[in-house]
Amino acid sequence: MLPLSLLNAAQNKPMLVELKNGETFNGHLVNCDNFMNITLREVYQTNPDGDRFWKLKECYIRGSTIKYLRIPDSLLDSVKDEQTRAREAGRSARGSHVSGAGNRGRGGPAHRARGGQTRGGPTRGRGRGRGA
Amino acid sequence: MDSLIPFTTSGSLVDCVDRKMLVVLRDGRKLFGVLRSYDQFANLVLEDTVERIYHQDVFAEQWVGLFLIRGENVVLLGEVDLDGEDEVPLRQVEWDLLLPYHKRDTDVKKRREELKAQVLHEQKGFSKEGGEGDGY
Repeated sequence: MLPLSLLNAAQNKPMLVELKNGETFNGHLVNCDNFMNITLREVYQTNPDGDRFWKLKECYIRGSTIKYLRIPDSLLDSVKDEQTRAREAGRSARGSHVSGAGNRGRGGPAHRARGGQTRGGPTRGRGRGRGA
Repeated sequence: MDSLIPFTTSGSLVDCVDRKMLVVLRDGRKLFGVLRSYDQFANLVLEDTVERIYHQDVFAEQWVGLFLIRGENVVLLGEVDLDGEDEVPLRQVEWDLLLPYHKRDTDVKKRREELKAQVLHEQKGFSKEGGEGDGY
């Protein structure tokens, strides 16, 4: 479970985001991307000293300004469970029609691999010839 | 076997997963937690995290739970020796008790660093600190 996948899985969950300058944002995650850019809704913002507060309906935070995110402890477990369920589901789906698909699957790559080798041979031969 | 793993973030941290680690951040915070995941930027996922503060030979802990740390802010990541951990000659006290001392320590340190940078700049011809002002 990569850190950014965990963030993705935290959508609609409450979290605390601290920026590099010490400001914090408490809210529910609406969306995020692979740069760690995020949008939060129903946000409480605090200044670095923690003595001033703002309430924001929704806000966007550029990923590069983030120091860390605090996410609910339960998230790691629920994500793990979900992954296990997805794996189980995938395994049973593949297992149901194994014979036909499996034979075709093994046949395809083998043909391509042999073709690649024959094409590779002459190329290497020409290469050596020029060198000598 | 070690030499087969290239010296990359992924190669260096793979042995640290599921271990209790100390993470020091650029702002000086020290976090202890179990490393559950990381990526090529050294973004880290720490579970069961506690933050520790120190003052002389006392320390205090505060539970902070699950952390996703953006890699840029990490200064160091070290494995905690679980056998030696209990023999540290430090005394644990209540967080609220120690916090004012810790705040004063960091303020004093910050002022001293600012003064030092100013003297170096004005008298010794050093360049000024980069924008972030935390020495990294």
